[in-house]
Amino acid sequence: MSQISKMNQRIVKSEAMTREIKQSKELFRILFYRSPIGTYIIQNGHFRLVNRQLAYILGYEEDELVGKPALSFVLAEDRDTVRENAVRMLKGGCSLGYEFRIVNKQAKVKWVMETVVPIYYRRKRATLGSLIDITERKQMEERLKQITAEMQHSNTELEQFAYVISHDLQEPLRMVSSYTQLLAKRYSNKLDSDADEFISYAVNGAKRMQTLLHDLLEYSRVGTRGKPFIPVNCEHVVEQAMANLKIAIEECNASVSYDVLPTVMGDEGQLVRLFQNLIGNALKFRRDEAPLVNIVAKRRNNVVTFSIKDNGIGIDPQHRQSIFEIFRRLHTREEYPGTGMGLAICKKIVERHGGHISVQSQPGQGSTFYFSVDTAGGESE
Amino acid sequence: MNSQTAERPIEILVVDDNPGDLRLTVEALKDSRLPNRLYTARDGIEAITLLRRKSKYSNTHLPDLILLDLNMPRMNGLQLLAEIKEDLALKHIPVVILTGSKEREDIVKTYNLHADCYVTKPIDLEQFIKTVKSIINFWLISIKLPTEER
Repeated sequence: MSQISKMNQRIVKSEAMTREIKQSKELFRILFYRSPIGTYIIQNGHFRLVNRQLAYILGYEEDELVGKPALSFVLAEDRDTVRENAVRMLKGGCSLGYEFRIVNKQAKVKWVMETVVPIYYRRKRATLGSLIDITERKQMEERLKQITAEMQHSNTELEQFAYVISHDLQEPLRMVSSYTQLLAKRYSNKLDSDADEFISYAVNGAKRMQTLLHDLLEYSRVGTRGKPFIPVNCEHVVEQAMANLKIAIEECNASVSYDVLPTVMGDEGQLVRLFQNLIGNALKFRRDEAPLVNIVAKRRNNVVTFSIKDNGIGIDPQHRQSIFEIFRRLHTREEYPGTGMGLAICKKIVERHGGHISVQSQPGQGSTFYFSVDTAGGESE
Repeated sequence: MNSQTAERPIEILVVDDNPGDLRLTVEALKDSRLPNRLYTARDGIEAITLLRRKSKYSNTHLPDLILLDLNMPRMNGLQLLAEIKEDLALKHIPVVILTGSKEREDIVKTYNLHADCYVTKPIDLEQFIKTVKSIINFWLISIKLPTEER
């Protein structure tokens, strides 16, 4: 090969290399300077190289940042966190994204998330960092936290409110009810028939209000006066509920049967009340025949689902949801007495036990109430 | 019934700040058909003043029974109970707490202060009358008290 052709080859090679270098420089420029993620190299605590996005986040020009101590842009309270993460990175080789606040040129505080890796830059140890602005996400998180806290607060307040009014209203009501009863006792048939009628309305009204308040108080107590959860044998619970309903069960000649029932984590008194209300409803809303009630439990993972099936009058499916609302009644007081609180209390108890309550029914075909209990035992807020 | 109770009426002190409640207790006592003489006080101060005045004059009787409400202004039921049970001249008088409260804390506190028994006022009038009657029957008829010997 001649010298000239060798030289030609070299020139061609070096031209190719120059082109390659030019291309990779361009690629670097695009990847680094135009990256939508703030990217930078820090050495000895100072910015050595920064890209446009970082400068944009911090609110400076790129050349204003180079040479400045990186920590000086971090909000004073968050500097320790950033330092700790730098140490962790040096030990572990890489950091997971961590969050802190920076102060930009306009003195505005912003939330950012940074990831750093240790590198060598010009033969010296350095840090390669990437940073994104998460201020909006943080603001939303804060807002959500605030809303959750507010809701919890207002829920507690509402429960407390219901408790206090139902408790404190009982005293004056006892006066109204006692004295209207005393009037009835001493003066019925001594005044005219109008007076007797008026007094009887007053007596009945006061009595009804007492039952309403009593049930409202019980409802609010599910949340405010609940006991801590312990392992509870549900067969004992059903036995207790049935003992409380003994007279009603005998009166309508009902038969209540149940399977082997498991032990769950819960508030025993509330679980008795729950079964008692559901069995009680099965007896109360019966057809002409003797009531048959069957209780079954099915376990699936941590959740036990109970079903209470009856042969009663059933419920129109359109009321499936609303029957669990407070003071909800589907019948007149003359047909079936009650305040309409029973199932609302059931729902509240079930929800405190981390479960759901529902019903399946057709008019005239009986009803099956289902409720679940989370046996893992976490009391839900 | 022993001969002493037949000679003089039973004396009962009812302490309650609510006139409605006070009257209701009085009405229930009227219903009991036992010859009784009632004294009423609207708070602890009124009650203790009355009791101390009576204990000074040996010719006037101390009450045979005290029916005491808990929530009252100035001196409440617990404070009055403590005063009575610390007073040598008064501590023998049975004190029955008759109150609207069902709070466990109140129940424990009163028994610790030597209340003789704790009764929650029934909400229903008939029940209330029955309860007051049974208190009278138990404390003043069924059982022996030191006052009868005085």
